[in-house]
Amino acid sequence: MEAPSKMSLARYVARRVLQAVPTLLILIVFMFILVRILPGDPARLIAGLEATEEDVERIREALGLNKPLHEQFIDYMSGLLRGDLGTSIKYDRPVLEEILARFPKTLELAIAAELIAIALAIPLGVVSALKPYTKTGLLATIVSLIGSSMPIYWLGLMLIYIFSVQLRLLPSSGTGTLAHLILPAVTLATLLMGNLVRITRASVLEALESNYIVTARSKGLREEVVVYRHALRNALIPIITITGLQLGALLGGAILTETVFAWPGLGQLLLTAINSRDYPLIQGIIIFYAVILIVINLVIDIAYAYIDPRVRVSLWSSG
Amino acid sequence: MPLLEVRNLKVYYDLPQGTVKAVDGVSFSLEKGEILGVAGESGSGKSTLAHSIIGLVKPPGRVVDGEIIFEGRNLLELSEEELREIRGREITMVFQDPNTYLNPVLRIGIQVGEVYEAHLGIEPRKAIDKVVDLLRKVRLTDPERRVESYPHELSGGMKQRVMISMAIALKPKLIILDEPTSALDVTIQAEIMELLIEMRDELGAAMIFISHDLELLGQVSDRLMIMYGGRLVEIGETEEIFRDPLHPYTEALINAIKYVRKTELPTLEGEPPSLLKPPPGCRFHPRCPKRMERCSQVEPGEYLVGSRRVSCLLYEEESDA
Repeated sequence: MEAPSKMSLARYVARRVLQAVPTLLILIVFMFILVRILPGDPARLIAGLEATEEDVERIREALGLNKPLHEQFIDYMSGLLRGDLGTSIKYDRPVLEEILARFPKTLELAIAAELIAIALAIPLGVVSALKPYTKTGLLATIVSLIGSSMPIYWLGLMLIYIFSVQLRLLPSSGTGTLAHLILPAVTLATLLMGNLVRITRASVLEALESNYIVTARSKGLREEVVVYRHALRNALIPIITITGLQLGALLGGAILTETVFAWPGLGQLLLTAINSRDYPLIQGIIIFYAVILIVINLVIDIAYAYIDPRVRVSLWSSG
Repeated sequence: MPLLEVRNLKVYYDLPQGTVKAVDGVSFSLEKGEILGVAGESGSGKSTLAHSIIGLVKPPGRVVDGEIIFEGRNLLELSEEELREIRGREITMVFQDPNTYLNPVLRIGIQVGEVYEAHLGIEPRKAIDKVVDLLRKVRLTDPERRVESYPHELSGGMKQRVMISMAIALKPKLIILDEPTSALDVTIQAEIMELLIEMRDELGAAMIFISHDLELLGQVSDRLMIMYGGRLVEIGETEEIFRDPLHPYTEALINAIKYVRKTELPTLEGEPPSLLKPPPGCRFHPRCPKRMERCSQVEPGEYLVGSRRVSCLLYEEESDA
């Protein structure tokens, strides 16, 4: 089976995008209802404690909250179809504009963190699978323990304390230069590495247990070839899944990390939106996040197909 | 000098529940070009025996004692590098289930070509012509196209042909066949057997042919070894064993074949022994129709009866040894 032609790939992507439509629709309906059954009247919250009844009514009207629910939904959906996610109450700007202004920062942080994590965690996981009782094996265990059990805000604060307050090497917050990126990226990467080391180690170990490894060895292949050509390639599938899902989660904004380091990304925006009951903004961010997850999943599936020819068959030839 | 001599081989698995003695003191030898059939129920240790000869016992299994002398060298004393040079070149192996013993994510051409890579230093991609010739030899249809295929695109029988091609590529002196047809459809089994016999005639390689199918072994092997509970039960000329089985277990197996033909099935009562806690004395005694008082107390030695070696107290007196 050859690599997929451009045509079949395009058809596959188109099909997957179409399949995502109902998913997205269900999500929007669910979110729409959820936001509206939450206790509290958004108009009253926005107007503030000292507002008059007329003020509240005026805000309610401006938000369209005085209309029946189904009309509100139709209004919202027709806006969505035109690419209009509504207007942020707090910032008084289109929601989409606000999101797109913040997204590059989130993207920057997410990719930096993921790259650091991949570069360190995968070699560490492989070595610890091959030589579990060496120092590297021990290091892998420690890293995965730290990554999966240390509260990220605490780690972030500690790093700030050491590198910004004590050593004065790196800025503690804000953005702009590479130096600003280092601490938040390292903090996030530590969290990611915990999982990634464990998954890499487990999937390499599992691959090494497979029968085709016995065949490879029986041919008289060198152990490096057995490990890197035969085992690692099979082990990549779960590793890619985890990496993709991690990246998806990060692109929605790393709320804690962004808060600790005052990083102006989507996570901070969501936090602000929730604190100020900015419903259009909350909805917009959630929809944006859902779209990102759908895209990431699609990318993961395509990556599978490039690694595993069996997946390729089921992806490209069916439908 | 025989091609292969296995002496008092012991392969144990250390499990949390205790030590499984999968192969427990097995000795036999193999001449050049000879085909030795190894028969026994599952769990009799025959597959572990095969893997230990090529040095690929999976942990927690380990060879605890014995010698495996191949062309005068004890394989158990060789370095990993020396062993690597023998594997795939001098000694090769065909495994039971071609579906799991081929790597799902690598093309057939690469996987077969790796044999040339490992021993002749030719990159798999540059060995494609050789691989195509080889695949033609094992009569895989359309070999030029098949080198580009992945395992899942081939049928079970085709995959086993691929496995066989890897095993014969460098004209080895010994091919170990571990139930090479058991995972295949009956019609395919016959085709694969035909191919194996053809390859034996062409290469003149010695073979250790492991199977639970005694009838099949009766057709292909020069000599036959019967295993039970990790021990050798009987070994000798195939023809002789079929004509006159000495050990009660061998007799039961051979009777089973005869009766299957008459469609009445006398099954051997009881179950294969636990290798974790084998029965005392002769391991077969709980199921043996001819057991004596002593069988549960004394471990039988191996006794020579004519050209045959048998491990049963019935032959203690007759023994020439």
